[in-house]
Amino acid sequence: MTRLWSMGESITVEETALANRAPRRFHWQAQTHQVLEVTQTWRVDVDWWRTRIWRTYFKLSTDTGLLVIIYQDLIDQQWYLQRLYD
Amino acid sequence: MTHPPAPTYVELHCHSCFSLLDGASTPEALAAQAAAAGMPALALTDHDAVYSAPRFIRAAREHGLRPILGAELTLSGGHHLTLLVKNQAGWHNLCYLISRARHIMPKGEAKLAPEELLGCTNGLIALSGCRRGEIATALRRDDRQGALAAARRYRDLFGSDNFWIELQRHLVPGEAQLANRLVALATYLQLGYVATNNVHYARPAGHRLQDILVCIRHLTTLDAIPPGVGPRRFNSEYYLKTAAQMAALFPDHPQALANSVRLAERCQFELDYGLQDLPHFPTPHGMSSGAYLRRLCEEGLSQRYQGADQKPARRQLIHELNIIEQAGLANYFLIVWDIVRQARSQGIRCQGRGSAANSLVAYLLHISPIDPLVHDLVFERFLSAERQVVPDIDIDFDAQRREEVIQYIYQTYGAEHTAMACTFVTFRARSALRDIGKALNLPPETLAAAARALENEAHTPAPGDAQRDTLLSLLELCQQIEGFPRHLGIHSGGMIITGPPLMGRVPTEPATMPDRVVVQWDKEGLEDAGLVKIDILGLRMLSAVTEAADLVAEQTGSDPELDALTFDDPAVFEMIGQADTVGVFQVESRAQAQMLPRLKPRSFNDLVVAISLIRPGPIQGNMVHPYLRRRLNLEPITYAHPLLEPALSETLGVILFQEQVLKVARDLAGFTAGQGEQLRRALGSKRATTAIEALQADFLAGARARGVPQEVAAAVFDQLRAFGGYSFAKSHAAAFTVLVYQSAWLKRYHLAPFYTALLNNQPMGFWTPAVLVNEARRRDLTVLPVDVTASQAVCTVTGESSIRLGFNYVKGLRQEHVQRILNERSDPFISLADFYRRVRPGRQAAENLIRSGAFDGWGVPRRQLLWELGTLHPQEGELALEFQTETAELPPLTPTEAMLGEQEVLGLSTGEHIMAFYRSRLAERGILGSAGLERAGNGQRVQVAGLVVVHQSPPTAKGHHFITLEDEDGLMNIIIRPRVFDRYRRVLREHRLLLFGGVVQRAGEVISLLARQVAPLQQ
Repeated sequence: MTRLWSMGESITVEETALANRAPRRFHWQAQTHQVLEVTQTWRVDVDWWRTRIWRTYFKLSTDTGLLVIIYQDLIDQQWYLQRLYD
Repeated sequence: MTHPPAPTYVELHCHSCFSLLDGASTPEALAAQAAAAGMPALALTDHDAVYSAPRFIRAAREHGLRPILGAELTLSGGHHLTLLVKNQAGWHNLCYLISRARHIMPKGEAKLAPEELLGCTNGLIALSGCRRGEIATALRRDDRQGALAAARRYRDLFGSDNFWIELQRHLVPGEAQLANRLVALATYLQLGYVATNNVHYARPAGHRLQDILVCIRHLTTLDAIPPGVGPRRFNSEYYLKTAAQMAALFPDHPQALANSVRLAERCQFELDYGLQDLPHFPTPHGMSSGAYLRRLCEEGLSQRYQGADQKPARRQLIHELNIIEQAGLANYFLIVWDIVRQARSQGIRCQGRGSAANSLVAYLLHISPIDPLVHDLVFERFLSAERQVVPDIDIDFDAQRREEVIQYIYQTYGAEHTAMACTFVTFRARSALRDIGKALNLPPETLAAAARALENEAHTPAPGDAQRDTLLSLLELCQQIEGFPRHLGIHSGGMIITGPPLMGRVPTEPATMPDRVVVQWDKEGLEDAGLVKIDILGLRMLSAVTEAADLVAEQTGSDPELDALTFDDPAVFEMIGQADTVGVFQVESRAQAQMLPRLKPRSFNDLVVAISLIRPGPIQGNMVHPYLRRRLNLEPITYAHPLLEPALSETLGVILFQEQVLKVARDLAGFTAGQGEQLRRALGSKRATTAIEALQADFLAGARARGVPQEVAAAVFDQLRAFGGYSFAKSHAAAFTVLVYQSAWLKRYHLAPFYTALLNNQPMGFWTPAVLVNEARRRDLTVLPVDVTASQAVCTVTGESSIRLGFNYVKGLRQEHVQRILNERSDPFISLADFYRRVRPGRQAAENLIRSGAFDGWGVPRRQLLWELGTLHPQEGELALEFQTETAELPPLTPTEAMLGEQEVLGLSTGEHIMAFYRSRLAERGILGSAGLERAGNGQRVQVAGLVVVHQSPPTAKGHHFITLEDEDGLMNIIIRPRVFDRYRRVLREHRLLLFGGVVQRAGEVISLLARQVAPLQQ
C-alpha cells in the first residue's frame, strides 16, 4: 500500500547535498528524518502552456524507516511529500 | 588549501534548428552559448544532415570556438549513431553516408543499414548515440547480449579508438541504471566512454519551442502526447550545459567529461573547397582551358566587332583574360559557354544577367547580350585580382524549356556530379501562428486575436485581459520560431557541378520532383564553402518573347530577328514614354507607369535608368525625385567635386548604380577597381564595420593626395555609405533592358502575337490575364472566346488584330480532354450529349466549358445547356442513341450572370467589361470613369468608380496604399493616405467594385485621384 498526496504534503527540508540538491534531512509530522539513501532522482518540466509544473523528485529511504517520494517545486522552491510507501 | 582543477567539457552531441522540427536554437545561438560556457569547441550533429555546416562554422569562429562537424545518423530500426569528423577523409565519408541514408528513403527521411557503414568509417569518430542508440536500446530491454554484439560490431567498424560509448543524464527515470550498464559494457569491451547532453536548445527556456516543433512535426497537439512518451521530452534538461553543470551530473565519472575534450582535440577538420571541384571541360587537341578560352574570345571579338575599331576591346580582353586565368576560372567560363551554346543550338532563348554582364569575355562568348565597353561597365564588379572568390554567373532561359538545359547538364556531367542547390522554406510569423496555435490546441478566436496583435501591437490585450498571457506567450513563440527552417525546397536554378562525385563533397538528397537531387546547402552555404554554382533560371518573358517572335514569323512569313534590333526606334520609345506598357517587361507596373511619362526615355541607357529607379533602393535612398527633377531641368546638375563628373554624369550627378561606387572611389581617391569593389561589398554588408573604417581611412588619404578637400571627401564617403546597402548593378539592368526593348518592340509592331504570347505564358508580370485581355481590347484587338469548334490548346492569333482564347484558360479541363476535343471535332459535335459522349470531360469540366461560352456557337442558351448537362448519364463507349429527355423552359442568363460565370471559370471575360453595365447609372449621378478622369482638371473634386485590379502598399510608401481601378476605357490610379485607409479598411478589403471620392492630381501626363471617401458600388 502507498499513500499519495496528489497536491503534495508540505515538508521542511533542513539540509541538502551540494552537488544535486538532494535532501539530507527533512522535517515532517513533528519528526526529523535523516536520509539514508537516494535511490532515484528525476525532474519534470511539463504543462508550461497551462500551469507549469517544474519539479525535482527524489525517491529515498530514511533512518526512521520511511520509503518516500518527495519533491522540490522549482518555481516556489518549496518541498513536498508526494508518496509514502507503507 | 588547493582547489581541484575546474572541470572542462566540450559538447559533442548538439542539434540546431537544422534538425528540422526538432532542434530549437539556431547555430548562432548555440555557438554563442557554448562560448559563454567557456567551451573551446562545439560539435554540431544534426539529424542526417549538415545543412547549416557553413553557417555554424562562421558563427563558431566569430565566437572563438573551434567548430566540429558531424551528424546523428539514423540507422535501420530507427537507431541513432553520433558521427564526428576528424579529417578530410571523415568528411567525405560522412557526406557519403548521409547521402546513402537519404537516397534510399522518401524525401525528408533517412535510414541506413549498419552494414553500409563498412568501408566508410575512416576519419570518423562514432559515439553510441542517445537512448535510441542501438546499444542503449538493447540495454533498456535487458538484452545484454544484443548490446554486446552491437558494440563489438561498431568497434570493429570504427576501431576501438574511434568508437565511444555515449553517456547522457537528463534527470529522467531509469537513466542511472542505463548509465551504469553502459559503463559496465564499455569497461568489459575496453572501450572509452564520453558524456554528452544530446542538446536540442541553447537555454532551458528553449524546451517550450522544442515541444511545439515536435508537435508540428507529428501533426499533433501538446495535449495529445504525454511528456516522456514518444518524441516528447520529460523536462527541460536538453540545453547546452556548462562543464560545472555536467560535472554535477557525472560526479561518479569525471573521466567522461575529460574524454569529451580529448575527442574534440582529435577533430581538426576544416571545410575547404575551391575551384578544383569543377569538372574539366574537354578542350580540343589537349589545349589548356586558358588557351581555348582565349581562342573562343578572339573568334567572338572578330564577330562582335566586325568593321569596328577592335583596339579598345582587345585591350580589355587581355586584361580580363589575365585576371580570369590568375583566378583559375577559364574552365568555369568554358562550362558556362558550352551550356549557353547548347541551349541556343536547340533554339532555347537565353541571356546572362547580373554582374557577369560587366565582362567582355561573357559578351564575346554570347553569355551576356551587353557590350560592357559601350555601356561603360566595370569588369572588377564581376571579378578582380584583389577579390579571389568565385563569381556568380546567372543565366535566364526560356522558362518553358529550362528543363531541357538542366537535363543537358545532367547528361553531360553525370547525375553523380550534378545537383541543385536547396532552399530552406522557413517559418514566417503568420504561418507560424497557425502551426503553433494548432500545437497548443487554441480556439480560432484566440488565433484571430493573436493575428491582429501580430499585425498591430496596439491590438495586444491590455493587462487584466483574460487572454493576455496566452497571447503573449503565443506571440513570443512566433517570434522565436520566425526564420527557422521548416522543410527543404529546391533552388529556382542554382546548379552545382563537380569533378569528383558530389556525394563525397557535400551530402545530397532527393527533392520532391522525381529524379531531382539537391545538395544539403543553400545558396549562402555554397558561397561560404566556396562551391561553384551556376544559376540556370527560368524567365517567362523569354518564353513569351520567343513565342511572340514565332507567331510573327508564322503570320508574316519572316523572322523578326529580335536579336538584331538596334534599340533606337523612336516609335518604341514614344510608346514607353506614354506609359503604354502593359505587358512590357519590367516597365509595366503601376509605379513605372507613373514615372515613365516624366522620364520620357529616349535611348537604351534611359531604359536602363528607368528599370533601376523603381527599386526599393533608389526609392528608399530618395534618389528618384532628384534624378527626375534634374532630368526635367527643374534643378541644376551639380557634383560635390569636379572629379566626380565622369563617374556620375550618366545619371545627372545622382549615384544610381553599383558600378558608380567603383568609379567614384577610382576618380576621387585613386582606388583600383578591385579596391573599389571591396569597398562596395563592405558598404553593402551590415557586419563589415571594421573593414569600412579601414577603407574610409584609405579613401580619405587617397582623396587628400588628389587635392580633394577633406570635408568634401568625407561627405562623398558618407553618401557612398548611405547608398551601399541597397544599390543595384547597372550590368544587370542593362541585360534586362534588352528584353524590355524587345518586348516593347513586339507590343508596338505585333500586338496580336505579343498579347497571345503573354496570355500563354502566365503567370508572369504585373497584371492579371483579365487586365491583359481588357487592355488588348482597348487597343482594338478582338479577343474571341473559347469555342469547342475553333479554340486550340493554347491561345492563338486568328488574324492581324484578333486572338482566340485557348482551352488552357478553362479551369478543370485536363490535357487529355483537350486532346480528345481536337481529335474528335473533325467530325463536328452535333449536341451536348454527342460532345459529352465522345470527349468524356467529366461533369465539372463540361459545366465550365458551357459557362465559358465554348458552346455559344450553337445558338443554344448557356442555361439550357447546363440543364441538359444535368440530364446526361453517358458511359464510356455507349452508343450514340438519342433519347427523349425532359426539357424545361428557362430564362437565359443575364449579361452580368454570363460575365460573372466566365470570370469564375476563365479568370477573365471576353465580353463587356463589368463597369459597362453600370455606366449609364453612374453617368446619371455624375460619377466618372477613366475617360472622364482623363479630362478632369487638377484639384477638381470628383467621384470615380471601377473594378479594383491592383492594390499595393509597398513598404517604401510609409503606409500609403495605391489602387488601380479598371473600367471599359482604361485604368485609374487612386492614392489612399494612411488615415483614409484606416477609416475605410473594411470596405477596401471586402469589395472589388468601388466608388471613390477625392481630388484630382495632375503631374504632367500622370493623373491620380487622392481619395477622401470610399464606398462599395451598389448593384
